[in-house]
Amino acid sequence: MTAPAGDEAAASIGPATRAYKPEMPRGWWLRRRHYFLYMVREFTAVPMAAWLIWLLFEIRRAANGPKGYYPPASPAFIVFSVICLGFALYHSYTFLSLAGVIMHMKVMGKPVPPRTIIAAMFGLWLVASVVVAAVLIGFAK
Amino acid sequence: MAEKRITIRTTRFDPDKDKAPRLQSYDIPFSDDSMVVLDALNHIKAHVDGSLSYRWSCRMGICGSCGMMVNGVPKLTCSAFMRDYWPRSITVEPLQNFPIVRDLVIDMEDFMHKLKSIKPWIIRKQELPLGAGEHPQTTDQIDEFRQFSQCINCMLCYAACPVYGLNNEFLGPAATALARRYNLDSRDQGLKDRLPVLANTEGVWECSFVGECSVVCPKGVDPAKAIQQTKLDTTTRFVLPYGNREG
Repeated sequence: MTAPAGDEAAASIGPATRAYKPEMPRGWWLRRRHYFLYMVREFTAVPMAAWLIWLLFEIRRAANGPKGYYPPASPAFIVFSVICLGFALYHSYTFLSLAGVIMHMKVMGKPVPPRTIIAAMFGLWLVASVVVAAVLIGFAK
Repeated sequence: MAEKRITIRTTRFDPDKDKAPRLQSYDIPFSDDSMVVLDALNHIKAHVDGSLSYRWSCRMGICGSCGMMVNGVPKLTCSAFMRDYWPRSITVEPLQNFPIVRDLVIDMEDFMHKLKSIKPWIIRKQELPLGAGEHPQTTDQIDEFRQFSQCINCMLCYAACPVYGLNNEFLGPAATALARRYNLDSRDQGLKDRLPVLANTEGVWECSFVGECSVVCPKGVDPAKAIQQTKLDTTTRFVLPYGNREG
């Protein structure tokens, strides 16, 4: 059998001095759903930071007493807050879901399954949310 | 009955002639449902165009040398069945994020350098003479690192990692998974030798947890887990007062 013509060329490949170096296209994150969701996850920090900066500004105004404090109640601010809440919830969901991958725990010498860790994380999130809500409602009264 | 055929488009690049890679189409018979993409490449090389260059060896998902982009996804071509793509055409490209040497062959020098840097072997502070006997391990001790030891260095995880694509200095998924494999091995005492590479800014901290490395791994290794757990370990060692004690 005659060796295919490409064999000699393939065998003669030395150091890759003339290798072609491809560059990542700018739209790489639109190529796959997983990449896109990753970028959304990373982006959630931006609206959350914007809302928290606004909160700091509000706290500073509230420090001057009730007379100088006018909490924003415009429809635009409510829409902005709802959008930020959506991003915050998505951020929390991804963060807690990844905890099962990161945490390596053992109970009675046996590794705890990631699903159990994730369920515990969401349970703690629920408890913390109820406690914070109760405190805020208590202050409001 | 008409013969079933399929179109394979492969990257062609001759460093002596081409400025950039291009795609070339081949129309080949697809008669056997057990045919994999590597079979198609071998058919092209044997019957259509002998100049096509690519790497392969074992044909059974063990050697890790036939990794390529199949329709944009990093795959071992020996495990990518044509029936999953037919009647669509199949585009085979070299693993992305690596320099292309020729056609479907990439330059793996960077990965080999990174692999060596994490010292993927058992390190002992003091080697015992052979006569001292073996280092016994329990099943639980083996289970600590077993999944990370399945890595076959196929580099699919590097092709799937946009962080590595954007910054080639990043240590990357497979090297970290193998470092974790040895750091978790009860026989190993080389953690401190590997930490400077792992805890470097181009080490685990460069990873922003895309997670695609674990999705594409053909051997079920979870490099993303290895990286995140290494982050946790290095932080613990840094923060806790007893963290830097000898292991």
